[in-house]
Amino acid sequence: MGILRLAHVDVVVTDLDLATAYYTEVMGLLESERDADSVYLKCWDEPGHHSLRLVYGPRVGFDQMSFRVEREDDLDDLENAVQRYGFPVTRVSKGERLGQGESIWFQTPSGQVMELVHDIEYVGRSTPLINPSPVIEGLKGIAPPRMDHVLVTCEEVGEATKFYQDVLGFRTTEQLLDGQGHQVATWMERSHSPHDLALVTGKNGGLHHFAFWLDDWDHVRRSADILAYNGIQIDVGPTRHGITRGNTIYFFDPLGTRNEVFTGGYRPDPDFPTITWTEDNIGRAVFYYEGDLNTRFMTVHT
Amino acid sequence: MSILRLSHVEIRVPDLELATAYYTEVVGMYETAREPDRVFLKCWDEHQHHSVILVFAPTYGLSHMGWKVSERADLDLYADRLQQAGVAVSRHAHGELGPGHGEAIRFTMPSGHLMELTYGMEQVGNLLPLTNPPPRPLGLVGFAPPRIDHVFITCEDVGANTAFLQQVLHFHLTEQILGDDGFQVATWLEHSHSSHDIALVTGQDGGLHHFAWWVDDWNAIREVADVLAYHGVRIETNPTRHGATRGHCLYFFDPAGNRNEAFTGGYVVDPDEPPVTWTEAEMGRAIFYYDGVVNQQFLTVHS
Repeated sequence: MGILRLAHVDVVVTDLDLATAYYTEVMGLLESERDADSVYLKCWDEPGHHSLRLVYGPRVGFDQMSFRVEREDDLDDLENAVQRYGFPVTRVSKGERLGQGESIWFQTPSGQVMELVHDIEYVGRSTPLINPSPVIEGLKGIAPPRMDHVLVTCEEVGEATKFYQDVLGFRTTEQLLDGQGHQVATWMERSHSPHDLALVTGKNGGLHHFAFWLDDWDHVRRSADILAYNGIQIDVGPTRHGITRGNTIYFFDPLGTRNEVFTGGYRPDPDFPTITWTEDNIGRAVFYYEGDLNTRFMTVHT
Repeated sequence: MSILRLSHVEIRVPDLELATAYYTEVVGMYETAREPDRVFLKCWDEHQHHSVILVFAPTYGLSHMGWKVSERADLDLYADRLQQAGVAVSRHAHGELGPGHGEAIRFTMPSGHLMELTYGMEQVGNLLPLTNPPPRPLGLVGFAPPRIDHVFITCEDVGANTAFLQQVLHFHLTEQILGDDGFQVATWLEHSHSSHDIALVTGQDGGLHHFAWWVDDWNAIREVADVLAYHGVRIETNPTRHGATRGHCLYFFDPAGNRNEAFTGGYVVDPDEPPVTWTEAEMGRAIFYYDGVVNQQFLTVHS
């Protein structure tokens, strides 16, 4: 019941061909479909229609984040919950959006547009359903198996976190507190992972990054090799987070949207106690090996 | 809401001291409680009181397996569903079944395996602080897996027991091996969005094929092999890969003869994804993808 996981991230790009070339050749995603203004991409191991939508627009930015719910009637329950909180909800009928059925969307207190959907067109993983080999040959680039999480920026992290918890049922696994005890950043999950959604203080409605899952630390190393070979600007890493314990690299797509590749972490139950990081430990909290945050990481977002 | 994941297994051992030494020094689990005939153990990254219980017995095998539910009301929900299906259910108060144990219901699967659903096991915390924790503790002993992962049992009628897990307990079938006659030879099912929390293979009713711990990655599998070989533990298969579940794995035996596994990899699934099917002709690759052959010992030895 309720939200299962991140379904897809929709980002605005000013050059659809350049962005598509990067996400298919360097990241190694597969193109599922294309319409007048968008390209729909998926990772090789994802059964659904797409996990990334590139939308053409005049200015780089964040269009929306979409989460999958477990059952169709979860949409009714969550629509009511969001409306009770005082935010308007819009219904989208089946057939209006490519690769999925009915959905709802609304603006969140953190300023992003959030979509909830159950019915996602099944196109299948790249492996067959009969006698599948565990790996497939001929993948390009990094070829992550799936999308993992999204980190967004907002002015009031505490208030927004309360919305995601109380109204949408997210559970806070970790939080970073300032000296006054206010939440500077929070990590929340629905999928028994360290995070599906994280919030960090910044402008309302911003996207800090979205992340793809990798197999392991060795896959992180191969990703760094592939990024460097293709001349992609690496922001930070390969390194490790204190928060979530994940191993990571941050880098930018050709239009300036920050990407991450991520692996590791832990498996929290719903009764997992929230881990707290204090501001004096912010360096190790974010980059455990360096113990220090660079200004670009703190300030650049889309 | 529902069953979350495998909570614990209770394993019979004829020599409690020897088994405890192996599970704490070689595997690297932590002892959390002890009774005259039982020892309670947890992995370093587990928050709950125990995930393996060793129980003194004249033989080896699985005494029971416990499953964590997300809400207390799930115990009533599943007790009702089980009773409607004609299965007898016993109720146990908080702490009645042992130190740290939560409230529970118990029943027997058609295969004769004793199963428990439990809520509210004591939280003792992992080995890290809740404020500014480093990503891992230092000074761990043995191969120190972070947590228990799954259990693999044997039964005469895989089809009937798989249907029981699906229909009464809402498990989701992720993979199956079908014999040429169309019957299920082995099945893998999950509740935790992973490739499997439980698997069934044709064999004796009530048997334990193995239980598995999660390890970080393929490198950790190599470390497990190093630690086991150093201690003279009998390794059954080299580090290898499964076709079914895609996991990387290593099989070995505890001193009593219960099969253990170190496992990593696999995939995440949504609850409505269709199952993968393996045909009898490809059974070798389904079990051991690199070798393509299942050895007789793996098929016949269980506890």
